[in-house]
Amino acid sequence: MILAEPRTWMFLVLAAPVAGAVLALIPLRGVGQWTSRVAAVVTFAAASMLLALRAHAVWGDVFAVDPLSDVFVFTVAAIYATSVWYSSAYLRSLHGAFLSAGVYYSLMSAFALAMLASLLVTDLGLMWIGIEGTTVASALLIVLERRPASVEAAWRYTLIASAGLTIALFALLLLYVATGSLNAFALAADPPAPTLLIQMAVALALVGYGTKVGLFPMHSWLPDAHSEAPSPVSALFSGVLLPTALYAFLRVYRVLPTPVPADLSDLVLAFGLLTALVAAFLLQRQRSFKRLLAYSSMEVMGLAVVGIALGGLALYGALILIVAHAFAKSAAFYCAGNVVRATGTTRIDAVRDLKTRMPWTGGAWVLAATAVTGAPPFGTFVGELLIVTAAVATGREWVALLVVVAILVAFLGVNWQIGGMVFGGGGEPFPTGDREGAEAGASLAWINVAVAFAIGVASLPYLAPALRAATLVLGGHVP
Amino acid sequence: MDVSSEVVPLLGVGILLTALYLQSESFVDPLVQGAAFQSLLIGALLGWLAWTERSVDLAVIGALAVGIRAVAIPYVLRRQIRAFRWRARELRASQRVTGHALAAVALAIVAWFVFQQTLGPKFPELGSALPFVLLVQGLLMLATRTNTIVQVIGYLEEENAVVYAGAILASGFPLFVEAVIFLDVLGVVLVGVILSIQRDVTGTPEERVLEELTG
Repeated sequence: MILAEPRTWMFLVLAAPVAGAVLALIPLRGVGQWTSRVAAVVTFAAASMLLALRAHAVWGDVFAVDPLSDVFVFTVAAIYATSVWYSSAYLRSLHGAFLSAGVYYSLMSAFALAMLASLLVTDLGLMWIGIEGTTVASALLIVLERRPASVEAAWRYTLIASAGLTIALFALLLLYVATGSLNAFALAADPPAPTLLIQMAVALALVGYGTKVGLFPMHSWLPDAHSEAPSPVSALFSGVLLPTALYAFLRVYRVLPTPVPADLSDLVLAFGLLTALVAAFLLQRQRSFKRLLAYSSMEVMGLAVVGIALGGLALYGALILIVAHAFAKSAAFYCAGNVVRATGTTRIDAVRDLKTRMPWTGGAWVLAATAVTGAPPFGTFVGELLIVTAAVATGREWVALLVVVAILVAFLGVNWQIGGMVFGGGGEPFPTGDREGAEAGASLAWINVAVAFAIGVASLPYLAPALRAATLVLGGHVP
Repeated sequence: MDVSSEVVPLLGVGILLTALYLQSESFVDPLVQGAAFQSLLIGALLGWLAWTERSVDLAVIGALAVGIRAVAIPYVLRRQIRAFRWRARELRASQRVTGHALAAVALAIVAWFVFQQTLGPKFPELGSALPFVLLVQGLLMLATRTNTIVQVIGYLEEENAVVYAGAILASGFPLFVEAVIFLDVLGVVLVGVILSIQRDVTGTPEERVLEELTG
């Protein structure tokens, strides 16, 4: 039966964005928007089928899926779909954009394709090419609004991310020398002894891919690119690009046998903790609400890396955190985009009283902000709770303490600022922006916040079992 | 003396000396020419290895090194320098050139030492540490320079390091040609697109402190 065959859905997951990227370039009015929408919906449907089947299959020598890639593919496809739908209204408010609508939609699909391909290949070299492809496809999207700051941000992003990925390629060279293979699935099934060469390769991969994940101190591109990109692109960056890069590292990390050598897991833990703490404190001093959200993403990625380093139950928490954060953070960026459309500014102090001026956006934004900072009962809370519990259970109370500090500091910083924008009175009068049109864009934010909520309060069909299966693939524990 | 066994180490020393020279130069045009020369040396190294190992992959990568990084990208960069005189020198680097050079030499020694301590037993051949040293030199240039053209040179140097490593440390690495092509595509995107937009929109080659990008 073709519908029960994972390869059918793998093909569609890859073919639909290819078609979207190509057809969007047809120079007819509205074609780019509609072909991209159809491509994104087909991709999402196919990814949902892979998740429902909890697919575990190979396709030739190149492609494969297991429950871990099922979860990531589903998340990328979902945020790709909502971001493409959100884009049309956002683009209407732009004047003098650097790219035509057709090229914009084509690059969006190419960006999604690069991420999805990275998640579906078996070979670590091909995975690296996919991650590098995300940089090529997304760099030009950052300069869409053609402002000096956006050009500078695109420059830093391209240069720093590429420098990091060059280190990742160096890591793969060492890994190949040590093992004679780059097949992630084969290496994970039969892990080689963790020689010094392999540990060096994994450490370099942490630095290399960590640059793209936004780990401290290689994070400097992240707040710039996230804040200067158009909001739908920021949603893709924060929600799924960072996790896709983390997935690439996870596949390299899985080459190590369980338990991972202590030196290396401690190194990963140190990077994660430092990233979460530095981001939590840096976000306190932000004056732009998009940069605030960017630092929040960095904090969450730090916590996810802590979960990976701790292993066991914390791995399950890290995966829940990544998925719930993707939905919540994309919702937060859609709200930010609505506010930018209505006010023309990203300054926190210039936006007040959203509860009466833009009630739908304001409401969704408060919920999204509490969701991204791990408030109960959102899925992010469950993920963070599992990480803290696992740290305590393994006798690392100091790790649990530092994680809780990072969570609390980030929670206060983000919610205080966004709460002030929504509930605070006074402020400058809104300029004559497209406030009503912008409010209409809040529906997608509500949908994604609802998913983040549902992940926390219910055992979602298909997603919950897939998350458990993905944890087992990584050698973790589930409750 | 077997001359053929000396070719690879000799070219490696040339590549390293070029990297150290690039760190000590603040005028942009000689930097571009130096980077082109380094890519030419990498191309020669790959050509030699392709000939001795009868490897088509290495020949293709060597041709890419010469065609893209020794000729095409430097040509575009030098046109930018000629058209926009203010790109000719890194504005804020004048007092730091000596410091750069000293830091580069110190870092090269540290990188060599780290490589010998960790990977030396696996790669005992003379010159095996050079790609790692070159990688660190490229990172140093990216981290310390502010002129965008000089940063492109740092990126090209990193790419040369990876190609060098692939050729002498990881012979037979699959997808190596494809990976190098992708790195070159990214180099072209950097140089051909973003650099041009930057010229038009910001009018300066220096990394600037922009109010929106602080914090």
